[in-house]
Amino acid sequence: MSLSRTMLKASKGACEIFRRRQFQPNLVILSTRTIYERDYRRPGQAPDTRWPWQKIRFDFAKGLEGISKHFGLLKDEIVGHWVGPEGRPMLEHILEQSRVLWEFRGPESLRQWVVSSDREIGGRSETYLKMGRNNSTCMLYGTLCSVPPRDGETIYSGYCTLRSKQYLASFDRKKHLDLSSFNTLHLRIRGDGRPWMINISTESYFSHQKNDIYSYFMYTRGGPYWQDVRIPFSKFFLSSRGRIQDQQHVLWLDKVNTIAFTLGDKVDGPFQLEVDFIAVCIDNAHTEEFAYEQYKRNPEV
Amino acid sequence: MTMKVTRLFLRGCTISILKLAFKPKVFPCTFVPSPDSGFCYYNPRWLHCGSAFCKNKSDSEELQKIVENEPQKNDRSLVTHDDLFERTSKDSKTKASFNKVVEVFSKKDIRRRGHVEFIYAALKKMPEFGVERDIAVYNKLLDVFPKDVFVPQNFIQKMFNHYPRQQECGVQLLEQMENYGIMPNVETKVLLVQIFGKKSHPMRKYQRIMYWFPKFRNANPFPVPRELPKDPVDLAHFSLTRIANDLDATVTVYQHPLTDITETGEEISQPHIVGIQSPEQRALLAKHNPNRPVFVEGPFPLWLRKTCVHYYLLRAEPVPPEEKLEEELDPELVGPEQSLFYPQLLSLDLNRDLGDDDSFDIDEVEEGPVYAMCMTGGGDQATLAHWICRLQETNPILGRVPTFFRLEAGSGELQTAAGVQYNPGQNPQAGPEMEHITEQEAARSQGMKQ
Repeated sequence: MSLSRTMLKASKGACEIFRRRQFQPNLVILSTRTIYERDYRRPGQAPDTRWPWQKIRFDFAKGLEGISKHFGLLKDEIVGHWVGPEGRPMLEHILEQSRVLWEFRGPESLRQWVVSSDREIGGRSETYLKMGRNNSTCMLYGTLCSVPPRDGETIYSGYCTLRSKQYLASFDRKKHLDLSSFNTLHLRIRGDGRPWMINISTESYFSHQKNDIYSYFMYTRGGPYWQDVRIPFSKFFLSSRGRIQDQQHVLWLDKVNTIAFTLGDKVDGPFQLEVDFIAVCIDNAHTEEFAYEQYKRNPEV
Repeated sequence: MTMKVTRLFLRGCTISILKLAFKPKVFPCTFVPSPDSGFCYYNPRWLHCGSAFCKNKSDSEELQKIVENEPQKNDRSLVTHDDLFERTSKDSKTKASFNKVVEVFSKKDIRRRGHVEFIYAALKKMPEFGVERDIAVYNKLLDVFPKDVFVPQNFIQKMFNHYPRQQECGVQLLEQMENYGIMPNVETKVLLVQIFGKKSHPMRKYQRIMYWFPKFRNANPFPVPRELPKDPVDLAHFSLTRIANDLDATVTVYQHPLTDITETGEEISQPHIVGIQSPEQRALLAKHNPNRPVFVEGPFPLWLRKTCVHYYLLRAEPVPPEEKLEEELDPELVGPEQSLFYPQLLSLDLNRDLGDDDSFDIDEVEEGPVYAMCMTGGGDQATLAHWICRLQETNPILGRVPTFFRLEAGSGELQTAAGVQYNPGQNPQAGPEMEHITEQEAARSQGMKQ
């Protein structure tokens, strides 16, 4: 292993110029993460040494547009506060037992979602998103290919993801979903028999927790019929950078940022997933708080 | 005490003399290195041979030959171990040859020099030899690690990462097991304790696997067996019952696969046709308006672990709202002459409180009903027409309903299968055109059929 690494280092110098041209930063924006946060940097890619202000596009028209957009949002927020929490009447807020978070009715509903695949890290999977047959569902389709990129460091590859965009309030502040009054995630989907994973990312205080993700599996039956999937939030387990953590923690639902579907079952081939809606509800029969052990193990690990 | 002595022996650089004196001696300690494995009893064995080894000396001369063919140690080639695998398995890549290579390596040198590289090479070669899902092979590979050498002896060693490369290698081996979904067994644990000690990183990895694997083993509500049936008819039966999700539905084999040679010498092969239809679907089809066509659509993919099968549907367009009939309840159940105290039909949901409302505020997706499903060996129109013909026996209405075929060429491609954009209301310029073409084709085939 170590020998092969030295070989790579030797050959790296030769194709340095090629690499730099190929992986120009911000040539193709594959996800919004490239805009708001520091992106994943591929092995061998030169770091982005530009100053922060060099990344901003100063434009008068853009500024005017931003002012109208952000002050409009601010006005909506202020007016919404008079109506009730989250802009809805108080009674509705207290009595609601189920809430539809996302439904796909019309092409503009696809704008709240980001599609990405292992193209980001140099893989060969393809993912596309479009409206379903009668314009009332979202169809995620593509091809999965789990051949790892030949950059000498990456050993696993092959994923496709559909992720909801971060909600933004006025002046690009993060807006979080407060789902703490619900305990179950309800989805109506139609897949092709492949197992998917549902990832929920929440807002955290410390920056080293920014990669924390709560996930659980979603198994599809396949076939022409719609499938209602109910997943209690208590079953979601904590993982960070793709590794399940030893110290588990229950998913706190008061600041949910995004929800994502991931396929990575190492089976090369086409896939499809149709999503009708994503909702949360209260399942009164479900009393479990957390599905994984919380007691201290003896001997403590 | 004995263990410490051996460690001294091994650590010393002037081993050459000691080794000669040491090698023929069978070390007589039946040592149990950890209290964890107290329930296991070890036979006297070589110092670095674990319990997983079975020492049969059957093909010793053959082994000897391979060892002699082994490149010299001062050969600084990068691919030594890969090469060893390649050369031993020129004829057949089987579990036996894999095991032989591992045995050769571990008998070659008592110090197991270069074992980390060897294990990495072996891990990479495992899928080629078809042993990537074999726990015994993994244990055997783990056994290549020398025992007791990497176990931290004092608190400083424990504090720091003791023998990090070896530990990484052990973790990588366990991770490969994890990726292939193999659960380690007690033997793995004993080996890990012997090699790395009780609180090493590979041991932690083992503990994690043993915690999470049983948790998610039965998480799938629609399990697929690892070994799918080989017979296509059985496979079709399994997949159709899986996607139909209806216990009342009956699977019918309309045509068995057959390959026959006629007297003229032509080879006739008829593909299998297996269909499924539930009584509900039959009742729905009987109520279908005969003026509106039904469609045979497909192929649609269905994944069963690593295999993809395709199925076809018999379905209709969604019923337009003006044609929808209100379902009338049986007047005997809801008529005015019902007793107030003993009603025949009572629609109360007793699990719900008064304020409870579990429904979601969404519009239902309008889709046409599915009347039947089938899987077939050949996706051509003639085969599917045969299926429709056979369906007519139980559904006589199909004789009066025009049937159109909307089949996509190239049954493997999903994008074409999913790419039928038929939106009667939404995009009038693209939709009907395509529809027209397919319908023309279908009408032609219909004519051919009749």
